Amino acid sequence: MAKSLLSIEELRTHFFTDEGVVRAVDGVSVSLDEGDTLGLVGESGCGKTMTALSILRLVPSPPGRIVGGRISFDGRDLLNLPEPARRKIRGNEISMIFQEPMTSLNPVFRVGDQIAEAVRLHQKVGKRAAWDRTVEMLQKVGIPAPERRAREYPHQLSGGMRQRVMIAMALSCNPRLMSADEPTTALDVTIQAQILDLIERLKDEIGMSVILITHNLGIVAETARHVAVMYAGKIVEYADVQTLFGNPQHPYTIGLLRSLPRRGASARRERLEVIPGLVPSLQALPPGCKFNPRCKEVIAQCREEEPELKPIEPGHLVRCLRR
Amino acid sequence: MTGTHVTTAAPVSPPAASADHDLVVCQDLVKHFPVTGGFFGRELGRVRAVDGVNLSIRPGETLGLVGESGCGKSTLGRVILRLIEPTAGRVLFEGQDILRYTGRQMRALRRQMQIIFQDPYSSLNPRKTVASIVGEPLAIHKIGTRRERERQVLQLLDVVGLSREHLRRYPHEFSGGQRQRIGIARALALNPKLVVADEPVSALDLSIQAQVINLLEDLQREFHLTYLFIAHDLSVIEHIANRVAVMYLGKIVELAPTERLFSQPLHPYTEALLSAVPIVDPRTKKRRIILEGDVPSPISPPPGCSFHTRCPYAMPECRQVSPPLVEVAPGHQVACLLRYDWRQHVKGGRAA
Repeated sequence: MAKSLLSIEELRTHFFTDEGVVRAVDGVSVSLDEGDTLGLVGESGCGKTMTALSILRLVPSPPGRIVGGRISFDGRDLLNLPEPARRKIRGNEISMIFQEPMTSLNPVFRVGDQIAEAVRLHQKVGKRAAWDRTVEMLQKVGIPAPERRAREYPHQLSGGMRQRVMIAMALSCNPRLMSADEPTTALDVTIQAQILDLIERLKDEIGMSVILITHNLGIVAETARHVAVMYAGKIVEYADVQTLFGNPQHPYTIGLLRSLPRRGASARRERLEVIPGLVPSLQALPPGCKFNPRCKEVIAQCREEEPELKPIEPGHLVRCLRR
Repeated sequence: MTGTHVTTAAPVSPPAASADHDLVVCQDLVKHFPVTGGFFGRELGRVRAVDGVNLSIRPGETLGLVGESGCGKSTLGRVILRLIEPTAGRVLFEGQDILRYTGRQMRALRRQMQIIFQDPYSSLNPRKTVASIVGEPLAIHKIGTRRERERQVLQLLDVVGLSREHLRRYPHEFSGGQRQRIGIARALALNPKLVVADEPVSALDLSIQAQVINLLEDLQREFHLTYLFIAHDLSVIEHIANRVAVMYLGKIVELAPTERLFSQPLHPYTEALLSAVPIVDPRTKKRRIILEGDVPSPISPPPGCSFHTRCPYAMPECRQVSPPLVEVAPGHQVACLLRYDWRQHVKGGRAA
C-alpha cells in the first residue's frame, strides 16, 4: 500500500465579485499517493486550475478566498501553516508548471539565473553550486548546449524549450509533488509528445507525484493513474484510469467520451454524439445536480437534490442520483 | 516504417489538366514574407511560409490541412482566398486564374469564398450586434432590401442553431461555441462555394466541439459546401476530411485519402505526427515516435528535404535533394526520397 502524500478534503475556494459569489471550487475531496499521477480533467471554468492553485495558496486574493476545507500534505495542514513555513514548501517540495511558459518566465532575466534563484532560495547553496545544478537540470530536460542556453533570455527559446526550462525550474529542488496545469496545451503535438515523455521519465527518476490538469482526455488516458472529472466546481467522478475510460458512470463523463471523434475508418463522417447545451456559468448554476440541464438521464429528483460523491465499487466514486 | 521503395514511374508533376473539375487549383504557390530590420528597414531574410505548393480542392469535398504551428497552413488558406497576395504561383478558382482578377472582379468572387476563423473572440466586432455582423456581407454586396436582408439573417441564425432573441445582442454576451456559430452564419450569408475553416473548433470546450463539428457537416450537406479544413487536431481531421494534406515548413509533404493517410502514412513526418497523438484508451500502449528537436525556422529551412534534421530515417542524399511531391499510389502523393526512385523525379539527379 502506497503512502498517501496529499489529501484534500471538502475544499471550497470562492470568488467574491460584484455580481455575487462564484463557487469556483465547491467541496472538492481527493487524495494522492506517493508516486501517483492524478489527472484532473474538465472544461473551462470547472475549477481544476483553482483546485491546484489552492494547494499552494496561490489563489488571487481578493477576490478569491479559500473558505473551507482541509489540505494536508505529508501530514502537514497546508491551509493553517504560517506563511514562512508555506514558502519553504512552495517551489521546493511542491512545484507547479503552467500552460504558457512565456508568461511564467521573467523576460528580462536569463533563464539560467531564474532557475538558479530558485535553487539558492530553497537549497541554501552558493552561487556556483546553484549554477551547476541549473546546467545539470537543463541537460536533464533535454536542452542541447545547456551551458549556452542557460545564458539566454526566454524570447530566444522556442515554446517547447521554454516549457522544458519551466520543468527544469520546477524540478530543480527535487519536489515531492508537481502540479502541471495544461503543460502541453500551447505546444505542437510532436513537442507535446517530447514533454509528456520527459515528465514521465523524470517522475520515475525523482520519485515524485504529479497532478496533471488538462482538458485533453487522450493525455490523461496515456499518463494518469487516477482520474478526477470535474464539473462546475465539483468532482463528479473519480476512478483509476482503466475504470474511468473502460466503465465511465457519470453521464457527463460518458457524454465527453462519446463526443470525441473516434479513431479508425468505421467512425469516419459518422455524426458525433453531443452533450447538449452550454458549459454552465458558475454564477447561474441550476439547483440540484449541476449537470441536470444537459443530462440525458435526468429525473425530477435531480432538479431538487444535490447528489453526493459516493462509491459504486471500491475506488470508483460517482456523483449521480441514478447510480 | 516498412522501408519498401516504390519505384514504379509516376507523373513527375501533379496533373494540372484536372483544373476543369477542381474547384481550386494551386500551382507552385509561393508566399515569402520579408523580414526587415535595421535603420533603413533592410531585408534581412525571408520567411518561406508557403514554399511551392501544388494542391487541388474538389467540389463538395473536405480537404483537411494539417501541420504544426508555423508550417504555413493558415497562410496557404489565406493565399487561396487572396486575403494575402502570393509571391509567385497561380490560384485557379473554377478554372480561372484569380490572381489576375481586378479589384472589382475579386469583390464579386468573394461571395463564393469565405473563411471561418479560429478565435471566436477576436473575429467578431465587439461593438456590433449579431444582426449587423451576420447581415454585413449581404449589405456590402447589396443583396436584397433591408427587410429581405433581415429575414435572411434570421434564417441564417436558425440554420446555425441561434434564435431571434439573439439578434440584438453583442458578441460578449455569447459563449465561445455560440460565437463560433455567429462566425459560421456570417461565412454562409453569401451562399459561398468554398469555405476555408481555419482551426474552427480548437478554441472551443470539448463538449462544444462536437456540436460545432456536427453543424459544419450538416451545413456542408445542405448547402453543397467545399471545405478547406485547417487544423492541428488529427482526430478532428480524421473525422471530417475526405482527403488530408500534411504540411511541413511551407511544403506539402504528403497528401492522401483520409483512411489511407491514417492507416498507411508514407512520410516519416506524418508517421511521427500520427504516433504523437494521445489515444483516449488507456489499454492501448502504442509505440510513440519521439522526434528530436524543434521545427527549424522557416527563415532558413534546412537544405535538401526540410525534414531531414528530425527524420529518423534520413539518408545522406536527403541533405542535398529536395524531394518532389510524387504520386506513388492512386491519389496518394508523398515528398520523400525513401518512397520512390528519386533519380527519376529530380532533374539531373540533383535539385535545389
